[in-house]
Amino acid sequence: MASAIGIDLGTSNSCVAIARRGRVEVLANRWDEPITASVVHFAAGGEVAVGNQAKTQAIHDPDRTVTAAKRLMGRYFFSEEVKKAKAICSYKIVEGPNHSVRVKVGDQAYAVPEISALVLREMKEVAEQRLGHPVTQAVITVPAYFNDNQRQATRDAGRIAGLEVLRLLNEPTAAALAYGFGKGLTQRVAVYDLGGGTFDISILEIGSDVFEVLSTCGDTYLGGEDFDDRVIDLLAERFQAQHKVNLRKDRFALERLKAAAETAKKALSMDEAATIRIENVVQDAAGTPLHLEHTLSRSEFAALVGDLVQRTFKVCDEALQQANLTVRDLDGVILVGGPTRLPLVHDAVAQYFQREPKTDVDPDQVVAMGAAIHAAALVGEEQETHLLDVTPLSLRIGVAGGLAETIIERNTPVPIEQTSVFTTFKDFQQSVRIRVYQGESRRADENELLGEFEFSGFKNARRGEVRIEVTFEIDTDGIVNVTAREPETGQAASTRIHLSSGLSEDEIKSLIDRHQPSAPPVVPPLSAAAALVESVVERAEASAPPTATNEVADAASAGDASEEEAALQAMAAAEAEFDAADFERDPAPLDGPADAEFDLDLTTDVSGGSLDTPGGAGEIELDEADLDSLAALSADEVAGGPVGDEPAEGTTMRRSRSDDEMFGAPGSDLSIFGDAEDDEI
Amino acid sequence: MATATAEIRALAAILDELDYYRVLEVDVRAPVSEIRAAYHRAGRRFHPDGHRDLAPDLRPDLTRIAKRVTEAYSVLRDPRRRRVYDQQLTANAERVRMPLADASAEADRQSRERREGRTPNGRRYFMLAQADLARGDRVAAERNLRTALTFEPDNANFKELLAGLRGKR
Repeated sequence: MASAIGIDLGTSNSCVAIARRGRVEVLANRWDEPITASVVHFAAGGEVAVGNQAKTQAIHDPDRTVTAAKRLMGRYFFSEEVKKAKAICSYKIVEGPNHSVRVKVGDQAYAVPEISALVLREMKEVAEQRLGHPVTQAVITVPAYFNDNQRQATRDAGRIAGLEVLRLLNEPTAAALAYGFGKGLTQRVAVYDLGGGTFDISILEIGSDVFEVLSTCGDTYLGGEDFDDRVIDLLAERFQAQHKVNLRKDRFALERLKAAAETAKKALSMDEAATIRIENVVQDAAGTPLHLEHTLSRSEFAALVGDLVQRTFKVCDEALQQANLTVRDLDGVILVGGPTRLPLVHDAVAQYFQREPKTDVDPDQVVAMGAAIHAAALVGEEQETHLLDVTPLSLRIGVAGGLAETIIERNTPVPIEQTSVFTTFKDFQQSVRIRVYQGESRRADENELLGEFEFSGFKNARRGEVRIEVTFEIDTDGIVNVTAREPETGQAASTRIHLSSGLSEDEIKSLIDRHQPSAPPVVPPLSAAAALVESVVERAEASAPPTATNEVADAASAGDASEEEAALQAMAAAEAEFDAADFERDPAPLDGPADAEFDLDLTTDVSGGSLDTPGGAGEIELDEADLDSLAALSADEVAGGPVGDEPAEGTTMRRSRSDDEMFGAPGSDLSIFGDAEDDEI
Repeated sequence: MATATAEIRALAAILDELDYYRVLEVDVRAPVSEIRAAYHRAGRRFHPDGHRDLAPDLRPDLTRIAKRVTEAYSVLRDPRRRRVYDQQLTANAERVRMPLADASAEADRQSRERREGRTPNGRRYFMLAQADLARGDRVAAERNLRTALTFEPDNANFKELLAGLRGKR
């Protein structure tokens, strides 16, 4: 019988477990290690190694060894996180199509989910080896604070690894499940999860078989590896002061430094001080071998990373506040993640929560165990537990003025669905584009762009006469779906929010093939334009009625480059008439008459700006063509005064002149009705 | 405990007519603790995770119920949203749903009105009084607050502020 496993896919280490016959068991790899390093080494000869064996290669073969790929999952190439990773990683991080991230090893570029898939496949094989039969289904855990892009990338990785992903489970929720499973507890607990690369805090209420997450907060760029970096910095600085040689410039030396820093950090869990000694770490200009030696004391280490540890408590404050609780309302604190073994962290947690944390489950294994319990429950092999989780980030829609309006607040339970009613803002407007964000900022560009959604083919009418219902849904995996509908004609379009830096369905399929033993090893890369047109096709197909299929989709499905070109032109032409008319009558002075038309959603401008790179690819051109007639406007922004039934004309916000120049043609889009009545289905 | 097929079908059929209290099967006066308990009960019965063996054609119904349950809980567990929702329910019993964002926005609006006034003139003189206070002109502030109170004689915040000013004089 096939079994469903639980996998904790960590930044530094991964772990796999299974629940059967009422017992949860961590499955050790063939070296009897319960956890496996999330490291992939690509040998020049073509062999791929995953795990601790690959990790040792980092020292000898740094540019062919990929570590901490999880930090890059679902990120845009231009994001701060990727920039930071580029600064500290010794492997090559390059830009892929649609601002995605690729890891380049030799002359082969890998998508990030592909790297994670190799780790997942290793964990799958570990399980199969222990169990003696094939495994196809898994629950995979993700940091609770992962956004939709990161979750989708994780799901994709699972599929590429040949797994049916039953569920994405939040790591702290999984830990709470492992802690409370079968104990019949009624408790309120905090899960303090400091992993290799991420920090999460969740507050849960456990009521026997129900695990309700009251709130969750986190920091996706804070973890044990940041502690290591601080130690590396210290060692490198000392060395430079002493020998005038920058070890950070030498990839081999840097990898040895990393290994030494990690070992020293771990030693400090047991000892008061750790001696770091690297023989012959580098040679000076004269060719004399230089050694590095340093004794790191607990107090020195505490001074190095103290601010990082304190940063976690800022996040804890936020989580408690969101749950409307204080530390006194809690019955316990569960520690998760390797770095929580550090006395420094342990003591700080005990002090903050005013109680001794629970350490009865191994902090490296508890998440995988929880995932295994839930996997077994999902396939009916284990008693049911009910996980009532929340969405960690507010879901927002881009509106005028570069702002983003909340549709679903963070820490709202999932699954959830909310509908907002929009209207067109120009006479005879033909399409609308909606940008969806996740994050806590009112400013659109300070949030994560999940994707954009276009809706067209509704009735031809004066502005304000077309009503478009946009429904936002977050499922139990925390994944976002958006649907648009015009109630009058029944015209509908739906899409899984499409991350422009993610993998298209076709790419995933070819990657699944590529990683099948029989398949050809290399997949021709999709051109950026092809990938984008495909996303349009997907949307068109998803919108179901054949009548909705437009020329773009038709042409694109032919898959021919020149036809794609034609499709792009067709798409632009579809709106050309409207644009032209608009252009004539709207010279758009910045402080124009009060009743001047609203031009273009600033969110579009802002993101367009950040997405646009000099000499950018063709798909950006398409985006802008699409954007021409589009803008979202909320009644709040439109009407300066009390919110009314209809956007007041007098106070529309305008985009800046530089944006006019940037996009060439003004456009307009839609507005949100302010009246609650209009939001009703 | 899997919920019976017939129950899911029946509930899905009438879901749009049920207000949030009926969705969660709680009394309109239920305290938050009861609402939470009801949410847990509903979670056991309708969470999509718990119905792996459900007939595929029933899955959309189950998901719809689960989403409505979380929506109901999200409004009723939050005292501010719940107050606004209750007002809506009393005013118009037919409208049984309320978008979360709207409930929050309406609650914000109401609290702002309580603080700054609900009439344009009341707000205006209140703002003027605020500006006077910022400048340290207590006499002008008092005059403006008194004017504001002529438009909104029952505004507790205005009264309190005015009393405070008089006390200091």
